[in-house]
Order: sequence, then C-alpha cells, then structure tokens
Amino acid sequence: MHNIFAGLSQGIIYSLVALSLVIIWQSTHVLNFAQGAMAMIATYIGMTEIDRGVGYWWCVIISVMVGMALGGVTERVLIRPLYGKPEINPIVVMVGFLGFLEALAAAIWTSTTRNIAEPFSQIYFKSNGHLVFLSSFVIFQIVLAIVIMLSVAALFRFTKLGLQLRASALAPEVSRLLGVRVSRMLTIGWILSAGVGAIAAVIIASGNFGLFPTNMDGIFVASFIAAAVGGLESPLGAVAGGLIIGLGEQFILAYWSPDVAPLGGIIILVIALMIRPQGLFTKTTIRRV
Amino acid sequence: MDWLRSLTRQETTHSRFVGMLFLTVLTLVITIFLPPVADSELAGGAAIAIVVLGLSWLTGWSGQISLGNSGFMAVGAYAAGIWAHHHASTPLVFTLFLALVVGGISGLIIAVPSTRLRGPYLAGMTLAFSAAVTPIAQNFTSMTGGEGGLFFNSLATPKWFLHFFSGPYAAINASAQWSADLAVVVAGVMFFFMANLFHSRTGRAMRLVRDNDVAAELMGVNLARARTSAFVVSAAFAGLGGALYSLLQASVRPETFPIGLSITLLTLMVLGGIGTLSGAVIGGIIYAFSENLVAHVNSLTGVNPVSNVGANMQGMIFSVLLILTMLFAPRGIVSLKYPLQRLFRARPLSRGAKEVH
Repeated sequence: MHNIFAGLSQGIIYSLVALSLVIIWQSTHVLNFAQGAMAMIATYIGMTEIDRGVGYWWCVIISVMVGMALGGVTERVLIRPLYGKPEINPIVVMVGFLGFLEALAAAIWTSTTRNIAEPFSQIYFKSNGHLVFLSSFVIFQIVLAIVIMLSVAALFRFTKLGLQLRASALAPEVSRLLGVRVSRMLTIGWILSAGVGAIAAVIIASGNFGLFPTNMDGIFVASFIAAAVGGLESPLGAVAGGLIIGLGEQFILAYWSPDVAPLGGIIILVIALMIRPQGLFTKTTIRRV
Repeated sequence: MDWLRSLTRQETTHSRFVGMLFLTVLTLVITIFLPPVADSELAGGAAIAIVVLGLSWLTGWSGQISLGNSGFMAVGAYAAGIWAHHHASTPLVFTLFLALVVGGISGLIIAVPSTRLRGPYLAGMTLAFSAAVTPIAQNFTSMTGGEGGLFFNSLATPKWFLHFFSGPYAAINASAQWSADLAVVVAGVMFFFMANLFHSRTGRAMRLVRDNDVAAELMGVNLARARTSAFVVSAAFAGLGGALYSLLQASVRPETFPIGLSITLLTLMVLGGIGTLSGAVIGGIIYAFSENLVAHVNSLTGVNPVSNVGANMQGMIFSVLLILTMLFAPRGIVSLKYPLQRLFRARPLSRGAKEVH
C-alpha cells in the first residue's frame, strides 16, 4: 500500500513533466533536453522571492510566470533558427542550454540543496492507529497535478486557442492558409509547456527532494522515459507512462534491489519498446526504416 | 564484420600510416619541450580526444547522437580499473584492450534495443544510461569501491625512461612526460584506425545511411546492423578513452563521469568539427588546456576563481560556445579552412579558361 502511494505521488510528477515534453514535441518536434533545467531556474527565481518574504503561493505564481517567459524566449531565440535543419542540431543546442542553465544556477545560488517550506504537512495520516501513508502534502501534490492536467486538456479540447494549437501541430501549411498564425502557436506551445514544467519543479522543490542545480536531471530522464513509453505523441500516454514509471521504480526499489533501481527506468523502456515500438498509447504509424 | 577488416585495409593504409606516424612523433617531440604540467594536461586531452573521435564517428558519419559516452567511458574505466586493481602486473596494452572490448559490449547492449530509436529517442535513451552509471558505480561497492573508488598504479615510469631526466624533480618530470607520450601514442593508434574506418567501404556506407537511409537500404546496406556497429565502435572508443583517462589519474571514482561530461564531449566535438579527425584533435587540445583558458578568462574579468561564479565559469563558457557554434557555424573550427582554401586557390580566370575547353 505504501509502495502504491509513493509510486503514484512520484509518478504524477513524472506525468506532469512528461506532459510538458509532449506538448513541445507535438508542436515543434523538438525533444527539449533543457525542460528540467528551465523549470529549475524558474523555481530558483520563485524561491528568492520567498526569501524576500512573499508567501508560498506567490512563489508558485512567480515561478510559473518566469518559466513561461523563459519557454517563449527559448523558442524564439534558440529553436526558431533551427527549423528545417537536421534533427541533431536542436538536440545539441538544447543540451548546451541545459549545461548553461545548470552552471548558471550553480554560479548564482551555489550547489547546496535548499528547501522551499512546504505549504502542507508531510506527516502521514493515521486511522485507528495505523499509518495510511498519505500526508496532506501528498494529497496536495496529486490534486494540483490533476488540476493542471485537466486544465491543459480543457484548453486543448474546448478553446479556440487549443483548436489552433492542435491544427498547427497536425497540418501547419493548411492552418497557415486558414489564417492560424502557426509560428505564434509554436511559441505558445513552448510557453504552455514551460509553465507546466515549472509547476512540477516547484512541487519537487517543496518536498523532501529539495532544490539544487541538477535536481531535475533524474526527473527529466524518468519523464522522458515516461513520454517515450507513451509514444511522445500522446498527452494521455505521457500521463499513463509517468504513473507506470513511478510505480515501476517504487516496486523495483521495494521488491528487487535498490542497487538496480537506477536502471529501472531503462528496463521499463526497453520492455515497452519491445512490446510496441511506437509507444503504448499512440495511433500514428511508425516511420519505417 | 566488415568494419573490422577495414581497420587493416591494405590499399591506402600506407600513406595514412605514414601521416599518423609523423604527427605522433611530432607530438612526442613537442612533449619533450613542454613543462610537466602541460604534459599531464596534454595526456588527459589525448584520452578525451579518443572519446571525442568515437562520438564524432557516430554523429558525423552515421547521423546518430549519443549523450551516453560519459557512461561508456565509465564502463571502460571501471573495467580497466577493476582489472588493474587486482592484476597490477598486466601489460598496459592488455588492460586498454580489455576496456575497448568491454566498452564495445556495453555499447552493443544499449544499441540493440535503441536501433529502432531515432534522433531524440536515442539521445534520451543514452542520457538515461549515463545518468544510471554513477549511482550503479556507487551502489555495487564490492566491485567498484563505491564512493571512494579504486586506486591502481599501472602507468609506472619504466627505469630506462628515468635515465633521460636529472635534477631534484626527475621522477615527477619523467612520470609526467611518460604518461603524455603513452597517451599520445595510444591516441595516434586509435586515430589511425579511425582514419581507415572513415575511408573504408563501411565508412561510405555509413554516410549513405546518414544522408538517405532508403537509398542505403536499396543498395543492400543492413540499416539496423550499420547503426548498431557505428554505435559499438563509438562506445569502444569511449571505453578505451575512459580507461586511459582513469589510468592517467591512477584512480577511478563514480563522480569522475557525471552527465556533464557527456555535454563536454558534445561541446568538444561540435567545436572542433563533427565527423573529422582534425576536429577531434582540436577538441582534445581545447580540453587539455581548457583550465588555463578558463583561468585566463577569470583573471581578465576579475572573477575570483574559487568563488561560485569562477568554479562554474568553464561550464558556462563551454555551453555558450556549444550553442553559438551550433547556431552559427555548425561545422566547427575545422570549417575555418574553407575560407583559407579559397584564399589560396587558383585565380578564377584561369579556372574559367579550363572549364571552357
């Protein structure tokens, strides 16, 4: 029972970051290796505002705003010149950006771990003297993640903006002919995605894990695996993939051996790719090579 | 196993052998005149150049990208380290060969499920691998020595080499130069192999795979096998380079091979020039003297080198250089030769005359 809760609460973070990766992948076909680092920087900036005495919720809002701005600027400055270039070029540039942001954060805020005071208690509830392995913080984490996911889904499903976003991802030329400003949609995709990533980073920094310049590295890797298991194309697949990875890691940790736990994600990815190379939740056909 | 045969191909190997031999001997002569500190830096640069060359082959010739080469370096380093730790008297050549083989095998294990993956998927998968290596090395303490790492001394300076040195620091000077010379020779051998691989049938097939995989398949190239073998060669080079690197330091520890090292390797490859021998040499030289460069930048800008900013200066400079090179000069420093060539080319008039008749 403990494992299920722990796995789910960790997995839902992976789902959030995986969702943000999928949004970018859908709109621009770039895997954003700096996604975690961008969210990390945004959280650091939010945290310095907490140090100045603003409340937790302001920190969340500031982090998300900074994250969104960073996402938009990144797309305009670093990614836009690379459309139509070999697919390796944006990978290299984003890996370079990842290295830059981590070095920058270490230069400004040092590499020591910091914690944002969590808004809710992390102490597990008790019922009839038994631990339930749920704390109000875990519930907050899960509820916030679900709210974000639902609002992203609603945005894509029910608004005009969402329709334009989906159209420009699916058929850029046709959308442009029909009057959708596709290049603006790409930027909006990055802004949205960076915002979702920043929320995940704030949740992580509020928990036991803390905030340090490379704190999103492991999360990014796990979330990438989650998105890849889901197929990179499907938001639903990303969410499901995140939960699968979270649970899988927790069960490997608990029932197999903590020593192999770092390899858990890769093992899950390999198995998933063997079953369905195009991802578990995608409908598109794989590119035959 | 076409590529294995191509390593010792007969027709054009001769000129390449002479060229590589000349460059290696030239570098060996240079090491005599370099101060000991520069010698040890050069040794590290030579080890890194081997890894960069392997990565350059993978990216420049087969069109794949790997963020896992720091992981393969770690695998090779630990293979060599564990062996050297228990069998201190093994000849160095054998230890390095072991690292090469183990690195290649680990590359094969990662490559087989990844051959279905392209571009970003492969990069992410290899990133996951290099992220897993450090905790694995920390966890399996009985073999890897855990956090503390392993220590060994396989690069002991031979007696006859010591005779060339005198003075109070003879032993230290001799050891610095011995390690530099050794690393340069190993790098020379590996560059020679790679030069042959570039110009072999396999190399040409690989370029076709990169540029047009459908055409390559129609020509009878087995795509999955081509991609896998490119990956294996790259991992083997990384394994050997990592082993050499840790032998030079006489120790191997988990944090020697962080993910950041993969980013550094990528930077060196892109800065030098993707897919070229000279690019890998330039990358190695940049790595060897990067600390001096960073110290120079720190003193120019007045940043305290032990402060936070100073300690992270190298990471920031390298990543900015990586981004700028990729955006504005994706072919790297090597591409500077094209304007130079144009400068010294025959006059347009005479060339036009040739084209007319």
